[in-house]
Amino acid sequence: MDIQLKRGVLDVCVLAAIKDEPSYGYKIIKDLKPYIELSESTLYTILKRLEGAGALTVTTAEHGGRLRKYYNITDTGIRRIEDFKAEWSELMSIYRFVAKEDKDE
Amino acid sequence: MNKTEFLDALRKALSGLPNDEVDQRLEFYSEMIDDRIEDGLSECEAVSDIGSIDEIVDQITADIPLGRLVKERIKTKKKLSGWNLTLIILGFPVWLPILAAAFAVMLSLYVCIWAIDISLWAVFVSLAGTSLGSVLLSVVCFVQGNIPTALAMSGTALVCVGLAVFSFFGCKAATKGVIALTKKMALVIKRLFVRKGDNNG
Repeated sequence: MDIQLKRGVLDVCVLAAIKDEPSYGYKIIKDLKPYIELSESTLYTILKRLEGAGALTVTTAEHGGRLRKYYNITDTGIRRIEDFKAEWSELMSIYRFVAKEDKDE
Repeated sequence: MNKTEFLDALRKALSGLPNDEVDQRLEFYSEMIDDRIEDGLSECEAVSDIGSIDEIVDQITADIPLGRLVKERIKTKKKLSGWNLTLIILGFPVWLPILAAAFAVMLSLYVCIWAIDISLWAVFVSLAGTSLGSVLLSVVCFVQGNIPTALAMSGTALVCVGLAVFSFFGCKAATKGVIALTKKMALVIKRLFVRKGDNNG
């Protein structure tokens, strides 16, 4: 897959995983596992990128006698998901056009 | 390998990276291991689930721009003792030409690889050009009534088209190979800066 496209899709996947409630690293990986296999290093890079873009914020909370980082989605992050959905429907209509061309051949 | 051993080994392997970057990464992996243990895995299972240190280091190295790695190396160099600094300054006439020569050799090798690739493409272009020219020439000869030459030219055109198609795939593969090699070389150069940190750590 095109690297730029894949990067965008992964970013939105992670944002979708924290959309309903703040989540932590391991839970994000587990939640996304049925759809996409993410390594720890990849997730770290994505989280850093999204934090830098203001799409999420990080809070630290105590859990079982240790500290755990929770990732919270921001308005920018929610907008990013909405943009993705809008772009995707556009892309899907292009896909249908391309797939139709295949059938015609 | 238990969690402490894993984190120690990772810290050592990453010692060429900026300190705050290493701390943040280790904190992240530590949390990941703890969460796996909480999920029912044993400490060793949790660590092996994270992946091998080499893989992690490669991925992190690929993520961080070369400029930052070099900057971090220069910063570490500042901590040199006076004696080492004197040696470096006195050795300047020796190490600078050697370094420059090594760099020039590397660069010329790299340029050579691209030159081979470009010459392959040149072969492709000339074959394609020849086949086009032969087609035109055979048409002209045919019109002029020079049938034997027209036949010979169309034969040449066919052979050249065939070779051009063949060479196109070869050229494409060669270019892809050179690009892959460039990426690999970039990673090796970056790794040089990260792994060298082992001596300081």
